[in-house]
Order: sequence, then structure tokens, then C-alpha cells
Amino acid sequence: MLEARGLTKFYGSLKALDSLDLLIEPGQVFCLLGANGAGKTTTINLFLDFIEASAGEARVHGLQVAEHPLETKKHLAYIPERVMLYRNLTGLENLEYFTALAGHEEYSQDQLRGFLTEAGLSEEAIDRRISAYSKGMRQKVGIAIAVAKKAKALLLDEPTSGLDPKASTEFSELLKRLSGEGVAVLMATHDLFRAKETGTHVGIMNRGRLVAHLTTEEIGHADLERLYLEHMRG
Amino acid sequence: MVMRIARKELLEMTRDGRFRVAGGVVLLLLLTALGLGWSRHADVTAAHETAVAQEREIWEAQGEKSPHSASHYGVYAFKPTGRLAFFDTGTEAYTGVTVWLESHKQNQFLYRPARDGNTLQRFGELTAATVLQLLMPLLIILLAFSAFAGERESGTLRQVLSLGVRRRDLAIGKALGVAGALALLLVPAVLLGAAALTAATADSESGGLMRTLLLAGAYLLYLGAFVGVTLAVSARAPSARFALVGLLGFWVFVCLAAPRAATDLAKAYYPTPSAQEFAAALADEKEAGIDGVDYEDFLEARKQELLAEYGVDDVEALPINYGGWRFEVSEEYGNQFFDLHYSRLWDQFEAQDRFRQRVGFAAPLLAVRSLSMSLAGSDFAHFRWFAEQAEQYRRRLVAFLNNDMRDNAGAAAFSYRQDRRLWRQAPVFAYDAPDALWALSGQSEAVAALVLWPVLSAFLAWGAAARLKP
Repeated sequence: MLEARGLTKFYGSLKALDSLDLLIEPGQVFCLLGANGAGKTTTINLFLDFIEASAGEARVHGLQVAEHPLETKKHLAYIPERVMLYRNLTGLENLEYFTALAGHEEYSQDQLRGFLTEAGLSEEAIDRRISAYSKGMRQKVGIAIAVAKKAKALLLDEPTSGLDPKASTEFSELLKRLSGEGVAVLMATHDLFRAKETGTHVGIMNRGRLVAHLTTEEIGHADLERLYLEHMRG
Repeated sequence: MVMRIARKELLEMTRDGRFRVAGGVVLLLLLTALGLGWSRHADVTAAHETAVAQEREIWEAQGEKSPHSASHYGVYAFKPTGRLAFFDTGTEAYTGVTVWLESHKQNQFLYRPARDGNTLQRFGELTAATVLQLLMPLLIILLAFSAFAGERESGTLRQVLSLGVRRRDLAIGKALGVAGALALLLVPAVLLGAAALTAATADSESGGLMRTLLLAGAYLLYLGAFVGVTLAVSARAPSARFALVGLLGFWVFVCLAAPRAATDLAKAYYPTPSAQEFAAALADEKEAGIDGVDYEDFLEARKQELLAEYGVDDVEALPINYGGWRFEVSEEYGNQFFDLHYSRLWDQFEAQDRFRQRVGFAAPLLAVRSLSMSLAGSDFAHFRWFAEQAEQYRRRLVAFLNNDMRDNAGAAAFSYRQDRRLWRQAPVFAYDAPDALWALSGQSEAVAALVLWPVLSAFLAWGAAARLKP
């Protein structure tokens, strides 16, 4: 579903991403670990065609992203680290707008409310303007937008940062459910514990290179942490 | 999709305090300007009608006197204010609307309020036209400078683009959103304006509806250009602040600097004499004559022709009144100089207007201003149209009086008297207003600039949106 082939990105002489090869099948949750600047967000930006690859290619559903920028995005949903919404609109109005732009005009108001409560937003918050929302509440709207899009692949850039532990756990449940439904997930995260819990695969990045790639079944939590630190030192 | 985006933009704007305040102020000014314009127009029209009626009465009631004295007594001619002049008063404050018509002289126009104006009024009278020309663009900039730059800064643009939205749909949607917000302000103003137009007396001008529609079209093109430029800059600017500063700079250039510079340059390239210089030059040339033929020579030549025509060798022997005939000859002599000097002066003013129109290619304000005055019938070309008719009428009236004396006074000189019967027969001034196409014919450059600007700016916005970076 999500595929990178020799994907490389230079910023001037800085190699932000170095020949990344990656294949994420439907139902897989791939957690990308690594320090800030390791190339996680660059990878996601390349899948979104927000930046141009210096070499290699990113594919979504078999289509090359750079050649089919609109078509490939139909299959993607994206949750950034800080979900940004329109301040003067309510949570519901934001969701309605974003889902409409994603091509889903069919949802009723009740269905839209359902997505928001499912994402963990309280009933009374739904009709309040975003300017009164906390970061966690905005993340929940972002999650609802992604779920409502019914995408085949999710690109998540530290989606749970700012969420309280309960919401974070609920989000993990949601991811499991979606992967059970055959959604492919690429998630950049700092959270080793969460990666071990929800991921089917884990990759460790350092200075633009994917230095380790394993399935979570192969490895215990303690081992993952040790492995991670080893690679960070290296 | 596009309508969806437009609706959201509009919803956001109407909830935004900045838009509410700025929009409210502009709407208030627009309605005030329309109201003031309307009451001024009603006053002027009423005064004009009273004056026209009274002027004829006064003329007919001037009592017994020689027809030539009556020609010195003179009449006033008033330029009817067009129905649309309440919207755009144009140059009437400078050119004047009233002229005193008498024998021997083509007079300068009277009632020029600008002569009595203070410095503040120099900046411009508050008319609906100036609100649309200067403040609406400012409002458009305030509404739309952050359209792309602001969304990019806040991060919402990334999310919108991640959905697979066409960048051009986004641009069209945003343009329509701004248009919708402007419509919220313009619709009440247009309704009020339309009501005022319907209530206005329709007789003073031809092609009223055509002029109104063209006027509306001109302003839509003008405001459309600003929407396009604002969106293009917002899409290309590195930040919203940068977009705002850049656009305000553009506004200052288009709305303040360029008009000022255009006027100064027009005066420098096409200089016009002051009123005193003009009068002095006219008097000097009249004194000196054309090619050495001064009034005495001119009269002598005409006298010889006259004597030959009647086959007599002395004016005493003529069957007509020589004095009356000679008055008309002096008119003919003088008119050559009026024709020459006034057309030279007015050609210069028109050249200045043309020059300003051409600057419209650089600053669309000058194009819309020129076209707006013209369609409102308050520009210099309409003034000249009136002034030339008034002058032709003066010549007809004076000739009518002189010829009466020539034909009927016999040997009597100033003892020859006429009365109300003759005054009644004197020609009446009837103003023939030009139609909309005539107004447009002098505005080809303004029209071209006004079409070019929105097309070009839409093109720029289109291109900038296509290359929009998240």
C-alpha cells in the first residue's frame, strides 16, 4: 500500500533521507523511530508530495506520488504532530469542511458527531469554536478527520503528542481496529512503548538512514529500547 | 468543491472581528456617501430647474431696450447634472456648471466649488465612487492577504492539501469567498443606489440604464483585479506579514502615489495657462489680429463687401442698420479667437485626461476613475460637450439680437428699442446630452486597462496557486 524505493532527499548538501526502501502492506502498522531530524517527517512529506524527492520514488497504492499527486492523496489520511484547524469554526464545522474537501459530502450531522465522539471529543466541545480547544482536543478532531476519510493508508506524524494517557490508549485501540480493517499505517513516533504495543513493524532511523527494520513480534520492549539506544549512539 | 470552499471562507470572514469592523466602516461610508451624493444631487437639480425657469423669466422681463443692450444683459446657461453624478461628481467642482453668455465674450465657467475649497476637500469629496475606488481595495486586501499565506503559516494548508484538494479549486473558492463578502456590503449599497436612480429625474441625460450597467461592470472589473492581485501575492509571499506589507505598498502606489504623479506629469507634459495668462493671451492676439489683419482691417474688408453687395458707396446709403451689422461683424471677428484659444486649451485638458487614462495600465485606479467620471457624465469631455453647445447658443442668441437691429432699426442707432415680444422669440438653450457610447468612445484606453488588469491578475493568481507550497 505504501512503498518507498531508494527514496532520497537532499536539502542542499544535507542528506535528510538516504535511499529508503520500505513496503507497508494493508493491515501493517509501521512505526518509524528516531531522534528529531532523523528523517521521519521528511519521509511523510515525500509520501504527501509536499516536497520533491532528490532520487527514488514514493508509491501509494502502486501509483507514483510525484506523478499522481491528487489520485494518491485520495488513498491517504494524514495527522500531523499539531493538527491545525480553522479558529473561527467549531469542531463539527471543521470536520464537515475537511471531510467535504476529501470528497465525502454524504455524511449526516449525526454521523459527523459520531466520528468526533468516537475520537474522544466530549459532546459539549463539538459545537465550540476551535479557538477554545486545547492541543489534545485538536488532535482528536484530526483523528476524526482521518477516520472519516476512510483512507486505505494513514500517515501519522507523532499523532499522540499532547494527548492524555487515556486518549492515547484509545488512539492505539483505534489504530488496531483500522489495521484489522486492512488500513496500512506509517507512524513516526518517539514513543517506544506505544510502538511496541500498536506497531506490527518497527524501523529505526538515524541521520536519514533506516538502520534497523524488524517486526514487533521478534522483539521485546526492553530489547527495543536497547536496540534504539545502540543505534542512536552509532 | 469550489462552492464549499467559498462558503467556508465567507463563514470565517463573517465571524472574524476584523472583517466585521472594517466591513461595517466601509458600508457605513458607502451608504453615507450615497446619501450625501443623493441629497446634493437633489439640491443641485432643484436649483438648476428653478434657475432655468427664472432665468428665462428674467430675460423676458428685462424691459424695453435696444437688442444690443439685451445682448449685454446676457443669460446664464446651466449644465444639467446627470443622474449618475450623485455617485461620482467627477471634475464638476473644478470645471463649474454655469456660464454667463453675453455678446463679445466667451466667458469662463462659474460656480466652481473647488475654488472655495479648503485643503481637506482637495483630498477629495466623499462620494460613493471614491469609497469604491480607494477603500474597497483596502478592504479586499485586509480580507484576503492571509488567504494562502496565513493558512500556510498556521499549518491548515498542509492538511487541506493532504486531502487531495486541487490547488486551483482552492484559489477559485477563496476568490469566490471574498466576492461573497464584498457582495454582503455591495448589495445594500447597490439597492440604495438603484432606488436613488429610479427616484431621480430622467430627462437630463440619455442612455441612463446603459451608463449604469457599464459603470457597475467597470467597478466589478476594478475590484476583481484587486482580488486577483491579493490572492496571487498571498500565494507567493513567504509569510502573511510579508503579503500584507507588500499589498499595502501596492495600494499606496495604485491609489495614492500614481494618481498624484499622473496629475503632475500630465501638467508637465501638457501645460495649460492660468486663467489670467489665458485671458491676457486671448486679448493680445485679438488686438494684434491674425496675420496682421486686426479688427479695423477685418471690418474694412467686410464693409467693402457689404457696400459692393448693395451697390452703394457709403454706409449712410445702406438700406440696413449699419450699427447692428457691425456688431455682428465684431462677433465674427472675436469668435475666431475664442475658437482658437478655447479649443487649444481644451485640447490640452483632454490630452491630460488621456495621459492619466494611459497611466491606468500601471495603476488601475486611474482607469476606473476616468471611466467612472465619464459614464457619470461628470468628466471634462462632458463639460466640453456642454460648453461648446452653450457657446454655439450664445452665438445664435447674439446674432438673433444683432440681426434684429440690422434689419429693423433703420437709421436709428441706440434709440431703437425692442420689447418682450422680441425677447420671447429669442432662441432657448436646449442641452442635448450625449449617450453612453459617446462617453465610452473617449475611454478606449481606460477600458483596455480595466479589462487587462483583472485578466492579468487572475492569470497571476492562477499560476501562483498552481505552484502553491504547503
